[in-house]
Amino acid sequence: MSMAVITSKFQIEKICKLYREKGKPDFEVLREVSFDIKEHEFLVLLGPGLCGKSVLLNIVAGLEQASSGRVLLDGEEVIGSSKKISMVFQKTGLLPWKTVLENVEIGPKYAGEPKEKRRKTAQKYIDLVGLEHFENAYPKQLSGGMKQRVGIARAYATDPEVLILDEPFGALDAQTRYSMEDEILKLWSAEKKTILFVTNNIEEALYLGDRIVLLSKRPARVKQVYEVTLPRPRDMLDETFLKLREEISGNMDLAL
Amino acid sequence: MREKRGWKYYGLPVISLLLLLAGWVYISAVKPELFPSPQKTWERLIRLIETPLARVPLYLHIFNSLKRVAIAVAAASLLGILLGIFMGISRKFQATFGTLFEMIRPIPPIAWIPLITIWFGIGEFPKMLIIFIGTLAIVITNTYTGVKMVDPLALQVGQVFHAGKLQMLFEIILPGALPAIFGGIRMAIGVGWAIVLAAEMVGATSGVGFLIFRGNELRDLPLIFVCMFIIGIIGALLSMLTSVLEKRLCPWQ
Repeated sequence: MSMAVITSKFQIEKICKLYREKGKPDFEVLREVSFDIKEHEFLVLLGPGLCGKSVLLNIVAGLEQASSGRVLLDGEEVIGSSKKISMVFQKTGLLPWKTVLENVEIGPKYAGEPKEKRRKTAQKYIDLVGLEHFENAYPKQLSGGMKQRVGIARAYATDPEVLILDEPFGALDAQTRYSMEDEILKLWSAEKKTILFVTNNIEEALYLGDRIVLLSKRPARVKQVYEVTLPRPRDMLDETFLKLREEISGNMDLAL
Repeated sequence: MREKRGWKYYGLPVISLLLLLAGWVYISAVKPELFPSPQKTWERLIRLIETPLARVPLYLHIFNSLKRVAIAVAAASLLGILLGIFMGISRKFQATFGTLFEMIRPIPPIAWIPLITIWFGIGEFPKMLIIFIGTLAIVITNTYTGVKMVDPLALQVGQVFHAGKLQMLFEIILPGALPAIFGGIRMAIGVGWAIVLAAEMVGATSGVGFLIFRGNELRDLPLIFVCMFIIGIIGALLSMLTSVLEKRLCPWQ
């Protein structure tokens, strides 16, 4: 990571989330969660299952409102869903009635780009994730890994400044998962977006992240932030890797 | 393991049909006055094709019934899809029309026949109106349910990628609800085909319902049998046709 870029791109400031319902005790999901993401950083948010990671992401993506706290992008508060932020969904969220190409182009399309231009953009990212010749396939014809490649291409096609990935590889088998992790690193070093990557898998966090923000179990708080300075591509059997893995593992709450 | 499509797959339906035919032959031999034989039924069909009944050839009887269903169901689908969508996306609309609709819906369409006949007589319009009333609710309910059942994730995707209101409706909600809407139309065609027969029994001069009613008046049992076969076969064909159409229009399914 270049030391010239140390400005905060993205700030999560004291985000709290409470679900209130009459006649029921408050359901606290997030408690004053704060962290920064630097420009072009690959930040991994690690937490046990059901700890509230997805709620936090929904808040950041503008799909839900925080009870208190705010999200800043380039120093400005983000209200609603920002055009500078794009998202890869855990369950891919591909629209089954659209072909691969039509799925990938929705961002530019909804932004009002003319057909020719957005098709070109979509094609570029389809090629980049290795799905050329599948442009006209429907999602149901694709494997899990291919579907998520479409999800990634779709997020990139909006040319966002910040890319959020919500446990994108959680549903994939181990082999596909490893190759997708390499793929996302390749894309990240080629396109240099700021990435917020969420996972509950420690190995994945260590393999990918510049830093790892560890969340506690619900209500989620930031438990600790780890810097991972190992050079890439990282060796999962490297001594430091294993040591960090053990340390985080000891510090991580168990999923309920 | 997938079962092989062996002789059972093709053989069993043939056996059941043969058994039915055998039963028919047997009963018609025992009670010929109540059960016309297959041969008599066949002969009646040929005669019906050769000599028009009530000065209308057979194909026109069928065509007239189908035309009434087609026009009425098309109108019911158009309005039903529109109302169903509005009910699905607007709480105010649902609150305004939902209860009203729930009160009218349980009235069987056939119960409308006397009133409509008194109001509008026995022409083409009242017949189609009865079918329209009987199928509108089906389309509305299915469309409404379809809109409500659209995957919330698809809506989130629309939001994250900044779909406008119309894009949200036409690119996400409508395609998401389309299979349910189609289910509604298919059911409406089936029900419409049933209602037209009832509607044609009151003061019609053509149509399959008219034919079967005439068969009753004349105690022409072979004619009644012929009509029942025609009704069954056309019902099955309509259902097949809509399935093919659905596959064409929803290729992602």
